[in-house]
Amino acid sequence: MSHRIMIIDDEKIVGDMAKISLEEEGYEVETFLNAAPALKKLEEEPFDVVVTDLKMKNIDGLEVLRKVKKLHPSTKVIMITAFANLDVAIEAIKEDVFDFFPKPVRIKELKESIRKALIPDDQTKP
Amino acid sequence: MKIERKIILLNAIYLVLIVIIGGSAIQSLNSVSSKQRFLEIADDLNTSFLEMRLSEKNYFLFNNITALYEIKTNISKANDVLDSVKDDIIPVIGESSYNELKRGLYNYNVAVTEAIDNGSWNGEIADNIRTKGHDLEDTSSRITKLEREHISNIIYRSKLLLFSSFFAVIVTALIVSRVVSRMVLKPIKYIELQARSIAAGDYSKIESPIRRDEFGVVIEAINTMSEELEQREEELIQSKKLASMGVLVAGVAHELNNPVNNISMIAQTYEEMYDKLTPTQRLEFMKKVDQESERIKQIVDNLLDFAKPREPRLSKVDINELLRKALLLVQNSLNVANIKSRVELAEGLPQLLLDENQMQQVLVNLFINAAQAMRPEGRLTVRTSLDSENGMVEIRITDTGKGIPSEYIPHIFDPFFSTKEEGGTGLGLSVSYSIIKSHGGNIKVDSRMGLGTTFTIQLPVNDEEKGRV
Repeated sequence: MSHRIMIIDDEKIVGDMAKISLEEEGYEVETFLNAAPALKKLEEEPFDVVVTDLKMKNIDGLEVLRKVKKLHPSTKVIMITAFANLDVAIEAIKEDVFDFFPKPVRIKELKESIRKALIPDDQTKP
Repeated sequence: MKIERKIILLNAIYLVLIVIIGGSAIQSLNSVSSKQRFLEIADDLNTSFLEMRLSEKNYFLFNNITALYEIKTNISKANDVLDSVKDDIIPVIGESSYNELKRGLYNYNVAVTEAIDNGSWNGEIADNIRTKGHDLEDTSSRITKLEREHISNIIYRSKLLLFSSFFAVIVTALIVSRVVSRMVLKPIKYIELQARSIAAGDYSKIESPIRRDEFGVVIEAINTMSEELEQREEELIQSKKLASMGVLVAGVAHELNNPVNNISMIAQTYEEMYDKLTPTQRLEFMKKVDQESERIKQIVDNLLDFAKPREPRLSKVDINELLRKALLLVQNSLNVANIKSRVELAEGLPQLLLDENQMQQVLVNLFINAAQAMRPEGRLTVRTSLDSENGMVEIRITDTGKGIPSEYIPHIFDPFFSTKEEGGTGLGLSVSYSIIKSHGGNIKVDSRMGLGTTFTIQLPVNDEEKGRV
């Protein structure tokens, strides 16, 4: 069974482009523009990796991170942000974020990070 | 002259008036009392005249020569009295009356002495005594009567004087208080108006003839304060500008980051997946790149508008027509969102001097904001009216949307402040604000949570049109 990746970003192109590249790698990818339906979906079924934008209007990325970790502690969360803000980064690390990408995102790096995230916990960290 | 001095002068005049009145009242009293003194003396004299006449009668009846001696004694007593009070009496009855009395006494004395010298009864001499005695009594009672009349005249005059001075004092008091209040209140009122206009942001100097009184000093102080305020305000605007530059830069960075990231991701995907993409997909990618570039351009344009609003290119515009045009431009969006619009436009509004494009930008912006704030079935109402008192045309744009939280209201015209869930640059209202301001107008907002929001724009009617309104 292929790994399931969720992408949450209110910029549609981010989801679209990531989906094309990641599907090429053989992942199963679902994209969301809003956090609320994404979290609802997570309540129904688990994902292996969640890639979320940090700054969204309704629910912010940190909130998504906390909810995901609460629902599925083993799910890895990768954060994308327009601003590399140290405070937010520290907060995210405390909440066990897997990786942190500033925009513009290098897709190759993102793919590499996801590949690492999918290696079972006892073997590695990025 | 200083106001303090003016007030002192007016009070001094008032005081002098009161002193004059008091003085004349005292003088009247003095004159009455000295006349009273004369009357007392006159009473004494009259009594001794009466005794003389009684003795005279005895002489006539009994031919008693001793009676003549009694008369002589009384005459000499009366003479003594008159001599002793001479200084008191002359000012009261006058020298001629005094001399008349003296002469009367003297003549009487001569007549009585003649009778004594003659020794025996003589009808002619007796007649002479009677005539002289009668004359003397007559003179005395005439003078007394005259003086009594004088006293009642003086009392009457004093009464009249006191009454009229009472009125004069009251009238003067009224006039003085009125003059003082005019002198003080008028400039105060003027300064109050000036202070109000300074509070409203008009820092023009007080145009007033140079005054040498306290108000001159106050006006000078206000003018200095006004200058200082103007300078401070400019400094404040500068520092606010700097502060908003900070917000601006951060906002621009964030706003640009998203489309830049999008273009970057499209390019990376395009490069990586080139062989696997169909020609249609490639075309779509490029279209998206173009759209994102357009987005960047929009942000930069808005930014330029904000940073350096161009001078409005003014032409005469029918505001109602402009509103209808702007509404047509957004009609499609309103239809899609299922929002009804209603226009209530006042007839016969004066034409306004506007930059049509800029104003259209403002209106479209406000319409779109309103539409985005509403659920389907919402209603957008556009009203125009004339505020002839202030020479303004008012445009009210009302929605039935969710309203703006009161804590956001002070910031909604700030650059990069946005409450939209997606796609708001946060520049629309701030650009609208500067456009309205550059037209000499005002824009304000009134919002109630759950009920809706009204934006009110006021635009000045130009002077040429004002005459026709």
